Amino acid sequence: MTSHDVRDMLDLPQEGAPRPAKKQKLAGPRPVLKGLAREVQNLGGDNPIAIVPEVSVFKKRRFMSRKPASKWELVPFKNTARSDQTLILRHWRRKEASPPPTVIDENEGESSEAAEKPTPVMDDSTFAKFNVQINIPDYTDDEYNSRLASPGWSRDETDYLMKVISDFDVRWPLIWDRYEYEPPQPRPVEGDAAVNTGAIIVPPKARTMEDLKLRYYSIAATIMALRKPPIKMNSAEFNLHEVMQNFDAKQEHDRKKFAEAAFKRTREEAREEESLLLELKRILARSDKLNEDRRELYARLEAPPSTGNIGIFSTSGGLQQLLQQLMTADKSKKQRKLTLGGETMSPAVGASGQTQQNFDRRESSVRESISGPSGGNNKKGNTQNAADRRQLTEEEERIYGVSRHERLGTSGPTFRHDKITKPLVSKSAVQQAKIGNILGELEIAGRLIMPTAEVGEAYEGLLQSINVLLDARKVADKLAGEIATAKAHRAEKKRLARAESTNPTANGDGEIKREGSAVASVRAGSVQRKRSASVMSAISDKSTKRQKK
Amino acid sequence: MASQPMTSSIQPTDVYGGDEVSAIILDPGYSSVRAGFAGEDTPKSFYTSCYGVSGDRTIFSDEDVHNPLVPDMEIRNPMSKDGVVEDWDAATQLFEYAITSRLTKFKQSDPMTNGVNDTKDMDVDIEAADEEEKPLEEHPLLMTETAWNSSKNRERAIEIAMENWGCPAFWLARNSVMAAFAAGRATALVIDVGASTTSTMCIHDGLILKKSIQKSPVAGNWVSSQVRSLFSTQDPKIDIVPHYMISSKTPVDAGAPAQATFQNFKHNITDSFRALEEERVLSEFKESVVQVYQGPGRLNSTHPSGVPNIENVRAMPGRVFEFPDGLNQMWGADRMTVVEGMWDERAALPIPSEPALTKAQTIPEMIRASVQGVDMDLRAALLQNIVVTGGTTLLQGFTDRLYNEMQAMWPGARIKIQAAGLTTERRFGSWVGGSILGSLGTFHQMWISKKEYEEFGVSVVDKRCK
Repeated sequence: MTSHDVRDMLDLPQEGAPRPAKKQKLAGPRPVLKGLAREVQNLGGDNPIAIVPEVSVFKKRRFMSRKPASKWELVPFKNTARSDQTLILRHWRRKEASPPPTVIDENEGESSEAAEKPTPVMDDSTFAKFNVQINIPDYTDDEYNSRLASPGWSRDETDYLMKVISDFDVRWPLIWDRYEYEPPQPRPVEGDAAVNTGAIIVPPKARTMEDLKLRYYSIAATIMALRKPPIKMNSAEFNLHEVMQNFDAKQEHDRKKFAEAAFKRTREEAREEESLLLELKRILARSDKLNEDRRELYARLEAPPSTGNIGIFSTSGGLQQLLQQLMTADKSKKQRKLTLGGETMSPAVGASGQTQQNFDRRESSVRESISGPSGGNNKKGNTQNAADRRQLTEEEERIYGVSRHERLGTSGPTFRHDKITKPLVSKSAVQQAKIGNILGELEIAGRLIMPTAEVGEAYEGLLQSINVLLDARKVADKLAGEIATAKAHRAEKKRLARAESTNPTANGDGEIKREGSAVASVRAGSVQRKRSASVMSAISDKSTKRQKK
Repeated sequence: MASQPMTSSIQPTDVYGGDEVSAIILDPGYSSVRAGFAGEDTPKSFYTSCYGVSGDRTIFSDEDVHNPLVPDMEIRNPMSKDGVVEDWDAATQLFEYAITSRLTKFKQSDPMTNGVNDTKDMDVDIEAADEEEKPLEEHPLLMTETAWNSSKNRERAIEIAMENWGCPAFWLARNSVMAAFAAGRATALVIDVGASTTSTMCIHDGLILKKSIQKSPVAGNWVSSQVRSLFSTQDPKIDIVPHYMISSKTPVDAGAPAQATFQNFKHNITDSFRALEEERVLSEFKESVVQVYQGPGRLNSTHPSGVPNIENVRAMPGRVFEFPDGLNQMWGADRMTVVEGMWDERAALPIPSEPALTKAQTIPEMIRASVQGVDMDLRAALLQNIVVTGGTTLLQGFTDRLYNEMQAMWPGARIKIQAAGLTTERRFGSWVGGSILGSLGTFHQMWISKKEYEEFGVSVVDKRCK
């Protein structure tokens, strides 16, 4: 492909810039070649052949320091970790006191080395510190006899066990592997050597690892407690003591048996176990999720009921109003956003107006889609849903409290729970308190725990009867009050009558008093009765006065 | 120099734990003897264990042992079939040759006076001094041994190292443990398939678990005899003609009889020499043709799809091998049947004059027995640290088959095989491990010093090297 084609493809002018790069290259320092090389170069014509002339220059010498090579010497060292200190090994070490780097001083340097040599302070191996020893408990004869003796273990075998343990640094697999106790030949100590010795020799018991561990741990724990009473131990020591004392050989043995059984599983068993484990994991994860959901649900149930009065939204008219409200809120929000966007995009007034128009059109279509064809949609949805929806049986209808109406009532559809709150909400605070008191007396919660249809109906009936009760009580109270006043009136009358008959001297005074009081009462009554009239007259007076002016 | 990444004054001991004391590692085996300095990655000195005896002359080194022009040379091996030293006199000479020929010829002394840079007249003194000196006076010696080495043999080893060679310090290490170290494991199940013996054993924390030691003769030499058995049953029967016998040959078609002229020797060629040379041809055959059936299942079992495995193998392309005399032939499924006996005793070809293989001698059964012999708690760790070493494990497909067999044996366990990718590391596994151990700074406290040897006698080796 030539540059012509590329230009054609990229829609570049055919005779563009006259290839500056190539020109430059040509103009660059062309190697001045001679003889055959020049002839070869000329074969290429304008396009020079890419021949890299061989440069006969060796790689640059590495920059080396002018210092003499560092000196190393074979230094003997010892290792304090060894039990035998005579072994002296030698390794190469750099000479510590390096002579001054100048060549002239070399002789001096050597002499200083010679001076250094006579001080044979041998280094210790840097690795000696890594030699760690472990403590194996030891015991005396008395301690053994009084505390450590155990049936089934001879003193000799115990000693052997301790030796093996210290030899192998309490690495149990090795101890068990190398444990080869041979009971000593019975020596004629007791005097009755005549007893046939052959019968005494017991073949060495094959000790299990648990046997060995049990024996060692019990010895170690006993010795530990003996050397330092458990009360004085620090927590780490005490824990160790506890662990050693509570070693359960049987449990350990069972554990190993179980592990061995698991080890010998076949492929199918292994696979089955794996799948079971997977299942278990899944179940656990699911139960976690379920618990989470349940907690969330409880949290929602326990949330405080909304304080706002939602009674106005319980009717279809109210709902419509709410919808409108939300829509206008939404609209204003959108509008703001859009106008803001319009301003940033194009500050022209016309443009913003256009967006407004656009918006209106969209808005109306939105509204249409919400309100207009919703009926049709609903119908469609209904028919569709009727097919989908499960038909409820009589029993279920009763449980769910489904009721059918020929036509909706005057108030439109309402929520059933309104029936519970409405009778309460519509009452005054005093009455609500009273109803609450009565419900409290009856030990019925203000909010229904399980408001099924039946319970709701019953609750409604209850509230109605409470209302009736309250009304009846009010009337009764009123009547009782009237009776009380009437009784008081009669008692007064009687008393006055008795006073008249018994005390005629005070009659005039009494008469006057009675008259006065009667007048007062009459006056008060007339005032009460005529208050409205006087108010009206006062108003009319004012209006007449105004008219007069 | 500041530009250098690490100046030599910074001792790398902190990083690697190494502390070179120019120890020599000697790793004898049935087929070869390896010797070299600790800290190096391959043995500098590698010789066949065989030596020649011609008249009263003892001949070592590969060049001379394989030379047919040495008259009446008997080939002998100081090692027993078990891989332990049988003939200590010859072995001492052989080991000494292996050490001095490449490692300690010259006394390690100041380069200014060691004679290399000196004029002629100095040489005489140095040579005289050299003869008096013992070969290993400046080098601690770490020698390897098999797990079943007898106590007497071990005592003999320290005696020779201390008395004959004058080592300042000595240590005897188990070769399986060393192989595990070479793989970087202190706890491992080591499967060592060498020339004369195959052994499996478990190692915990650098010590062998004795109850888990299993060994059997199913190793490289056994495979050779299987190959011989295969050749003898071919039609026409194949005679192995070693290289030294061939004077010239002309190429022939596959399966056609060989056309070669033989070399004539004036002296008698011993049977042992011919056997040694035949073995070389067989080694070549084993290296280039023999292959282990990889699985699944065994060669004689049937594949889940219903086709016998052997049929599948027959369908695979064969391999051509040309013998020294020009005879060449394509080897198909037979190249797998010769090693199938390692895994399945019923598949082994009968070898005349040798008892039939028992089930316990096959590699899977040995592994099973080894694992059975250790504590339950260790088994899972061991199966995740399986170290494969020995030259015969380089048979193609060996590790794959091993994995399949073990997977079938313990389907629930996690099995991880540690097989060095480098041929040298697999062949010299135990030497490399010894090289690592010998150069560790923390190892220096372990050496049995000359003083300790003098104090406690030869029994010190049994006490110290467990």
